[in-house]
Amino acid sequence: MLLAVTLPAVALDGVVVIANEAVPLDSLSAAALKDIYTGRTTYWPDGQSIGIVLQADEMGGETDAALNEVSGMDASQFRTFWQRMVFSGRGQQPRKADDAASLVAFVASTRGAIAIVPSNVTLKGVKIIEVR
Amino acid sequence: MRTFKDNMMKRLISFLLLAPLAAFVPGRLEAYELNLGTNLPPVDFHGFVSQGFLYSSAYNYLGDTSKGSFKFTEAGLNASFNPLPRTRIAAQAFTYDVGEAGHYDVILDYALAEYTFNDHFGVRTGRIRRPQGLYNDIQDVDVARTFVLLPQGMYDARWRDFYVSLDGGEFFGTIPLKQAGSLSYEIYAGVVRPSNDGGVALEIRGALPAFISLDSIGSAAIFGGQAWWNTPVNGLRFGAAGGFLPAVDFTTTIQTPGGPIHPDNQTSVAFQQFSAEYLWKAWTFQAESFFRNVYPDAAGMPDTHSLTWYGSAAYRFNKWFEAGGYYTEYYGDTTHPDNSLLYQKDAALTLRFDPRDWWTFKVEAHYIRGTGLLQDNPDNPSQNDNGWWMFAVKTTFNF
Repeated sequence: MLLAVTLPAVALDGVVVIANEAVPLDSLSAAALKDIYTGRTTYWPDGQSIGIVLQADEMGGETDAALNEVSGMDASQFRTFWQRMVFSGRGQQPRKADDAASLVAFVASTRGAIAIVPSNVTLKGVKIIEVR
Repeated sequence: MRTFKDNMMKRLISFLLLAPLAAFVPGRLEAYELNLGTNLPPVDFHGFVSQGFLYSSAYNYLGDTSKGSFKFTEAGLNASFNPLPRTRIAAQAFTYDVGEAGHYDVILDYALAEYTFNDHFGVRTGRIRRPQGLYNDIQDVDVARTFVLLPQGMYDARWRDFYVSLDGGEFFGTIPLKQAGSLSYEIYAGVVRPSNDGGVALEIRGALPAFISLDSIGSAAIFGGQAWWNTPVNGLRFGAAGGFLPAVDFTTTIQTPGGPIHPDNQTSVAFQQFSAEYLWKAWTFQAESFFRNVYPDAAGMPDTHSLTWYGSAAYRFNKWFEAGGYYTEYYGDTTHPDNSLLYQKDAALTLRFDPRDWWTFKVEAHYIRGTGLLQDNPDNPSQNDNGWWMFAVKTTFNF
């Protein structure tokens, strides 16, 4: 079987990573972003709980491709992974928003929130996190 | 002896636990959040309820399955909350009824406080789920896996009171290994509290001759750990786990010509588990092996070494359909690998449907040879190595 070794850089085509403005970082390495989306990093440096936000019912879109790139899991595997974390008492499940606009609004109003959104979405009240 | 009134009371309590879950079913299910005020984060609630049906062509396994059994129910309701920076508290109530184990007793499944100093080191204390392999800490959460029945020599649905939770604590964290990925670890110590009605008690009762009866099993100290090497290959990880119970005490009554006597018995248990998982595109590949060694203190009682291994593959066709299968072998006593009363070899095929995010439905078939995991059920015909079938259907609602 062909194994694709993860490269240091992550290609997030057509999407941007956004976070609540109170998040104390402006950039993340690809490895740090992966640690967040795989539950290995659960707090920002100032102790705020990291809250991942997803768009509900997304499957096969640009954000799913980016989620796969970041976490190494497709949408279904990602959901199952976080259900494992929640029901074993080891983590808090990502929240979901109905569409991209409500997702941005949710991130803007929720301390510690982070999300991947299509790059053509209007951003208001959130910060863009550069992925190095 | 349980009375009708006892059972009705337990079913009533179970219903009260399940009712809040059922109330969400008609709509879209997501986490329920309870807001405590503008300066506090919300409390997240999640839950699930599963109902299964089991039918077997030959033997009674996990209940009276030769006639078809609905005694395959699991439900849980949990809450988690971050009251302070880097601090989380979480708790889950759980009830189950699998064959002769569980009886809808509502139990505190976990109730823990956690402080994360940094990514490398955190502490979790209280009643915690015990990490072991891919599924031990979530073996009763149907939505978190492809299969209805996990390989039963490793994740026995009847043994959850003994294996799944412990009262104590653990250290956890992830250590970066630069280009080699990272190493996640959990190291735990505490006490397990097996139930007198649980699967371990049933197995001991099944193993004892007719003139000896099991009275009770005591709490037992346990310590161990789990490590995962998260390799630099996306989706590939390897794990190793080990645990040790230095003294599991249980009391028995032996009927003798001079009257009953009540000796104390003690045994120690050690186990190791090795795991591999690879998520590749829509595929999930998993393989694990589990070694359990039981060392009775009583003179003349032999040590027992058991082994279980499996390999599985699952493919997600789309959002609502997944198919998977596994092959597993269990050897209850590795010194007698050819004795069909002590081994069980199982080939399973599962179709999983997810019509909604909150609703899962599974159909599963098993072709099994050997009867090594049937020893707790006296209501079985004489056993042989002829193959037999088992079918499982299960549906789960979760939020």
